[in-house]
Amino acid sequence: MKVGLFIPCYINQLYPQVGIATLELLERLKVEVVYPSGQTCCGQPMANSGYENESEGACKNFVENFKNFDYIVTPSGSCAYHVKKHYDIIEQTPSVKNVRNNIYELCDFIVNILKIKNVGATFPFKVGVHKSCHGLRGLRLGSCSEIVGDSYSYIENLLQEVKGSQIMPLSRADECCGFGGTFAVTEEAVSVKMGKDKIKDHLDNGVEVITATDTSCLMHLEGLINRNNQPLKVMHIAEILNSQIAETI
Amino acid sequence: MSHPKLASIFNKDEQKVNWHDKALWFVRHKRDLSVHQVKGWETLRELGHNIKAHTLSNLDNYLVEFETNALKNGIQVHWAANAKEHNTIVHQILEEHGAKKVVKSKSMLTEECHLNPYLEDRGIEVIDTDLGERIVQLAKEPPSHIVLPAIHKNRHEVDKLFQEHLHTKPCDGDPQYLTQEARKHLREKFINADAAITGVNFAIAETGGFVVCTNEGNADMGTHLAPIHIACMGFEKLIPKQEHLGVFLRLLARSATGQPITTYSSHFKRPMNGNKMHIVIVDNGRAEQLGRPDFRKSLHCIRCGACMNTCPIYRRSGGHSYDATIPGPIGSILSPGKDLTKHSSLPFASTLCGSCSDVCPVKIDIHSQLYKWRQIITKETKQPFVKKKSMVFMGKLFSKPKQFERIGKIGRWALRSLPQSMINAKPNVWGKSRDLPKGPKQSFDEWYRNRMKKSQ
Amino acid sequence: MGSRTDILNKIKANKPDKLALPTIDPYIFNEDLDLVKEFTKKVEVVGGNVYPISSLDEVTLKINTLLPNTHSNFSTLENTTGFNTISMDVIKRPHELEDLDVLVLQSGLAVSENGSIWVEDSVLPMRILPFITKHLVFVIDERSIVPYMHQAYEKINDFNFGVFISGPSKTADIEQSLVIGAHGALSLSVFLLK
Repeated sequence: MKVGLFIPCYINQLYPQVGIATLELLERLKVEVVYPSGQTCCGQPMANSGYENESEGACKNFVENFKNFDYIVTPSGSCAYHVKKHYDIIEQTPSVKNVRNNIYELCDFIVNILKIKNVGATFPFKVGVHKSCHGLRGLRLGSCSEIVGDSYSYIENLLQEVKGSQIMPLSRADECCGFGGTFAVTEEAVSVKMGKDKIKDHLDNGVEVITATDTSCLMHLEGLINRNNQPLKVMHIAEILNSQIAETI
Repeated sequence: MSHPKLASIFNKDEQKVNWHDKALWFVRHKRDLSVHQVKGWETLRELGHNIKAHTLSNLDNYLVEFETNALKNGIQVHWAANAKEHNTIVHQILEEHGAKKVVKSKSMLTEECHLNPYLEDRGIEVIDTDLGERIVQLAKEPPSHIVLPAIHKNRHEVDKLFQEHLHTKPCDGDPQYLTQEARKHLREKFINADAAITGVNFAIAETGGFVVCTNEGNADMGTHLAPIHIACMGFEKLIPKQEHLGVFLRLLARSATGQPITTYSSHFKRPMNGNKMHIVIVDNGRAEQLGRPDFRKSLHCIRCGACMNTCPIYRRSGGHSYDATIPGPIGSILSPGKDLTKHSSLPFASTLCGSCSDVCPVKIDIHSQLYKWRQIITKETKQPFVKKKSMVFMGKLFSKPKQFERIGKIGRWALRSLPQSMINAKPNVWGKSRDLPKGPKQSFDEWYRNRMKKSQ
Repeated sequence: MGSRTDILNKIKANKPDKLALPTIDPYIFNEDLDLVKEFTKKVEVVGGNVYPISSLDEVTLKINTLLPNTHSNFSTLENTTGFNTISMDVIKRPHELEDLDVLVLQSGLAVSENGSIWVEDSVLPMRILPFITKHLVFVIDERSIVPYMHQAYEKINDFNFGVFISGPSKTADIEQSLVIGAHGALSLSVFLLK
């Protein structure tokens, strides 16, 4: 099994610890991971802003880097979704099709390909799960409250097995945090309000650490938490699954 | 004004935002409780979607079938290419009968055509009889929601409005009392009306009849008392057969308010003896939307409003921030088809979270259409210089790994080293209420290279 | 005729290739529920009341206890002539029914999934009746209850006007507070005949 690791541009630059945790975790789960050095970005920032054409170079660069892998794993539901859903703007060569079919968000990969639920992590905190929208409603990494059907959640499957961690239920389990890429800036007022409300839901329900499959949502929430000095931490799910913290700090 | 501007004005009063958000979330919650009880709900949505898709693919024939049957039933059928023609037709019908007082039940189409001011300018009194619509009519405002037109007003505002216009007693916003007073006030209007105008929820090709749904009974109070009934419908309201009502009436009210069905689902097929029944079939841009493969599914809409109730942006920006007849997610994919420049900010008033598409009873891929409108808007309307340039720059940057690395290094240094006051200064909109991440010394790339070196 | 031809031509030019019309298989929704129980539950959910009766003779008596001191009553049931205070023969305009207190109607079709009751103009001397009355009473045979709307439409044939009524009229347009009694009936009672 040849697995390529895609580290989204902003994680690479701003949250390297998320990339490190992802790589270490996969290696601990006995996956042979290759990190192609020429990777940049999936192209989503331009495309979601209405400049899909300007993202073609990024798409092609992505395909070039990852075309020869059996699986592409990334600690971002949003980027995986973008590759799957929106790489229809470039010619559908076998390489492009391969990349679109084989990209997996990290939890999805662990639960459904590796078929592992207990990754052997310890994390003694009250955790609030932020179900990032593109992973949830795009990749269907879990059931959402709108749709009638059986309830499931890959991220929660894994968290439930983490020693010491307690998943705190929220009053609005899958409401968007308000990040939304350039939305965070162009619709600043609503974006900030959505983030504040999301944080309040976590605080009201006794959460100590907010986690998610996407660091972009967490960056937005962390920005608000830090500005307002709120007693919350944010951590990507890879960091928790890679954690061996034995006692409460 | 653009959506972000109007939304930021709405957000100046955070208490009001909280209240508005909660009121609509309550409706979304009622919807959830209701639909999660229905066995086969997702199949029902799929059926709704496919019946609508089929109908649109054979719409011209179904419209002719509907017309033939409606004429047989004694209904007069009119065709309007646009809002102006619609208004002219309605006015002519009223004029022929010397009708001066009109009661109207909810019809988003007549809002879209601006029928009320057209008729009022010609000396006709038009009274909106849905309580929410009457409230906004008295306040001289457009509806802010298609199912809950006055959802932006609190009870005290309604209390004040009624004191002023209906001379009610101050009641500390008692909804029971205010509704009773509205009943009395509108009862008099029903009794004295010369004509009743309604919208159409569903028109049935097979029978030539149509269905109007209300909870208040206002459509029926109007139409069964007045000698003339004019029903106005966008042509996408058509469905092939009566049996299809079984699907749509199961979907509509549950999605809208969580009720298992509206209180009244009135099936009009033939006029009462001596009375007149007219139906006006309106295009007004719909045929054009039908011709856009990426956007034609927006014509599946049955106007339940569920996408508004679920939309985290709508709930926190209010219906008026969309400055369009139909606000919220569905409006944001319909309106650009009518006026791309005027509505160019609407497809961007979304995080593309996808809740609208999942809640939609007829499975319109609303968030995918928002994405597609964005691509068109950046090409066909004038864009801010900085936005355009930065996108071109980013596009180039991400196609060249070496450059990406260099720029990344500079960016991280800046975040790490520059004072917060400078980072969060005015041009940085992000930093107005949020801190930026601290720039780490090492990127993942650099860490990975070091690690490789060490292991060699 | 206005723009008829233009509109139809435009639609013809712009519509997609023909897509299949799905068939509805009502069986997939079936839950095998107790129809009377479910119907009763749903009528109550939508703000109405259900009273079981064992014979039509009980109707008038029951109304007198439920809705005492009414002045203007009308029933379409047979043998309730003592109950009726108005005669439809003398009513010229529907407007004259404005003070009607109680209307009793019989219906042959009700739906358990939503508590709605079908009325069509063959049983309505005037269409305005079930809307203008203050209190609406339905008499329904238990056996006329069908599970879902799909089965209901199988039973509906020709009519000039027909309506599904589910509960008394209501609105929540003022701050989402539910108020029973908007423009239509203020109360709805169902007498369910065993």
